[in-house]
Amino acid sequence: MSRGSGGGYDRHITIFSPEGRLFQVEYAFKAVKAAAITSIGVRGKDSVCVVTQKKVPDKLLDQTSVTHLFPITKYLGLLATGMTADARTLVQQARNEAAEFRFRYGYEMPVDVLAKWIADKSQVYTQHAYMRPLGVIALVLGIDEENGPQLYKCDPAGHFYGHKATSAGLKEQEAINFLEKKMKNDPAFSYEETVQTAISALQSVLQEDFKATEIEVGVVRADNRVFRVLSTEEIDEHLTAISERD
Amino acid sequence: MGDSQYSFSLTTFSPSGKLVQIEHALTAVGSGQTSLGIKAANGVVIATEKKLPSILVDETSVRDISSLFFHKSQPFSCLLFRCHFLILFFFLNYLWQVQKIQILTPNIGVVYSGMGPDFRVLVRKSRKQAEQYHRLYKEPIPVTQLVRETAAVMQEFTQSGGVRPFGVSLLVAGYDDKGPQLYQVDPSGSYFSWKASAMGKNVSNAKTFLEKRYTDDMELDDAVHTAILTLKEGFEGQISGKNIEIGIIGADKKFRVLTSAEIDDYLAEVE
Repeated sequence: MSRGSGGGYDRHITIFSPEGRLFQVEYAFKAVKAAAITSIGVRGKDSVCVVTQKKVPDKLLDQTSVTHLFPITKYLGLLATGMTADARTLVQQARNEAAEFRFRYGYEMPVDVLAKWIADKSQVYTQHAYMRPLGVIALVLGIDEENGPQLYKCDPAGHFYGHKATSAGLKEQEAINFLEKKMKNDPAFSYEETVQTAISALQSVLQEDFKATEIEVGVVRADNRVFRVLSTEEIDEHLTAISERD
Repeated sequence: MGDSQYSFSLTTFSPSGKLVQIEHALTAVGSGQTSLGIKAANGVVIATEKKLPSILVDETSVRDISSLFFHKSQPFSCLLFRCHFLILFFFLNYLWQVQKIQILTPNIGVVYSGMGPDFRVLVRKSRKQAEQYHRLYKEPIPVTQLVRETAAVMQEFTQSGGVRPFGVSLLVAGYDDKGPQLYQVDPSGSYFSWKASAMGKNVSNAKTFLEKRYTDDMELDDAVHTAILTLKEGFEGQISGKNIEIGIIGADKKFRVLTSAEIDDYLAEVE
């Protein structure tokens, strides 16, 4: 093994570079952007909404099988932005973990507990050479019994934070700038406002108007805690409401 | 640890006899947010900057929960007084708020500079070690023992196959029978007891400032003021109870993280 500057290995496995950086983790973030999808999540007063682009690359593909929005349990949803295969692995493990939690402790896994579990797993991949970090940023949403609507973002580095609103993917920074302006005065959005803020943020950042079949929307509401993916008709209603509003 | 394919250590000696991965880890620590600790005559204070990446981050997800814990565990500790550490362990690992200062046992707290995810791993391992000690010896773990065991974990990761060193330095603050203690643990696994120390971005200025201001007979309140002044030295932007965290432990041997209101009070006194 050559040493000195890491011998070039610092780019191949997760060891430190001379500047104290982990290149593999940084490349994992780039892989998320390479998927060319942008996702947005917004937390309202009593609901959480996540929105992502639905790009079907081939007309022959079955559109219903192309999804980035996964229910983990009845009450927890996960929006995975980035490499689809890594997303499926993560979702599979998360579903298993949530089911075991329910069995072991007798109550539903809370959102932040799931987010921490995902983040801790991601940290293991940044420290052990035999597994690369996953190229996925996960937005986890649900209604917490004590704290109300929750939206957490977990990234390949193992960080996780709760967010009032956030974004992931290609236009992440532009979307966050847009959302910072909208959420500056801590508005308490109703369900409709939450969904419409999320969709209009995506439209504004990508500078295109969507058809209902081009986006996926997932919601949880305090009065109906089940995680739901909206149907095309419901998405259409929101899109119409947005265009009438403008 | 690690797959058989990676059964060789990634941290190996350079021709000049240095372990470069550890040096790189220290660089990672040096680019982390500043944190510091001060040992007073009757307690210890640890503090850190808490700069969140965006205003969209929910501060309540980064909130202090140790007060929550002590309230919730009272009925439990009456019934299961011997097991109250277990309850602590259970609650704290599931009620984690994204907070930089963490409690390891009721009388030991810890803060870090460097990589947050690595810190979480060490906190979890340390809590488990403290709990195992308690189970075996039926008494709270002394601060030196906990520091030694945590340091041993960090050293393992500099020698084992297929893993990299932790990118964090820890400041462990505790109060046990030997009085108030402050230890700094580095990614290499070496640790020293300090009267006052700092780590992270502004370390040299902070240490110079601390060297000037430190006195052996400081009281805990003075130490908190000094800690705030030291953080203020290198702080970019407006310092407030929302963007720093302070943890203290006094003669009552109960480690706690101050609320942002309490920090604002101390800030007002310092002005």
